Amino acid sequence: MPVNASSYRTAAVFAAGLTLLCWSMGPAAAADAPKAATLTVAIDGTTFQPAMLTVKAGDSVTWVNKDPFPHTVTSAAGGFDSREIAPGKSWKYTAAKKGEFTYVCIFHPTMSATLKVE
Amino acid sequence: MKVPAIVIAGTLLFAVAGASAQGVNDAQIASIVVTANQVDIDAGKLAQSTSANAEVKKFAERMITDHTGVNKSAVELVTKLKVTPEDNPTSQSLKSGGESNLAHLKTLKGAAFDKAYIDHEVTYHQQVLDAVDKTLIPNAKNEELKALLVKVRPAFVAHLEHAKMLQSSMGGSMGKK
Repeated sequence: MPVNASSYRTAAVFAAGLTLLCWSMGPAAAADAPKAATLTVAIDGTTFQPAMLTVKAGDSVTWVNKDPFPHTVTSAAGGFDSREIAPGKSWKYTAAKKGEFTYVCIFHPTMSATLKVE
Repeated sequence: MKVPAIVIAGTLLFAVAGASAQGVNDAQIASIVVTANQVDIDAGKLAQSTSANAEVKKFAERMITDHTGVNKSAVELVTKLKVTPEDNPTSQSLKSGGESNLAHLKTLKGAAFDKAYIDHEVTYHQQVLDAVDKTLIPNAKNEELKALLVKVRPAFVAHLEHAKMLQSSMGGSMGKK
């Protein structure tokens, strides 16, 4: 096949276009890996909102204390404990262990919720 | 002697009913909220220093922390709104009821103290909730004040439930935990 300037040019344009396409889709598309998400649970009015949250292993959950007094996020089964979260403060947990875990506020026995990790 | 809890509850109910009939303004609501919280803080401090029961002490500590936090929010809000808490028959009744309760508790110790403290906490939180629902929230004019009352209401419910749990666990046994 004869090689000439115009076929080089075509190849170069094609290569550039493909690179641009891959670049614009980002590393996730190139690597085909789902991004870890960060989800939020509000601690408000002495309740956890939402009461049931489902996440993927590797995702993070941030609990934000919107009450004027401290709370905790404590799960024996799930193996996580925020210890005291002061008013206005947050606590972030990366969910590695899969399962459905009940958690409570150890200060307020009526407060419980569920974190499901898939 | 079981009279004090009933007397206190009855006095509060009477005062709240009176307040409802007349209506209370935001300044009076602020005074009622701050006083109601302070009464429970004071009882909690006495329980912390008097009780030998770990669960009662933990409950008392929670009352101090939570009611102090609510008061801080309430005071911050009324300061921002330039509302000065105004003393009124309901807040006065709460204050004198609180003082009577403390005086009575100070004559007790051990399991008798724990039972009287917790029994009063159940009655007290129920009456405060009734006041919040029937008088304070309905009469609050300022929307932020009303929102604060609505926001903290569940905490009082949680306190009431916690106190009831302790009350039933103490019902049969007189022993320490």
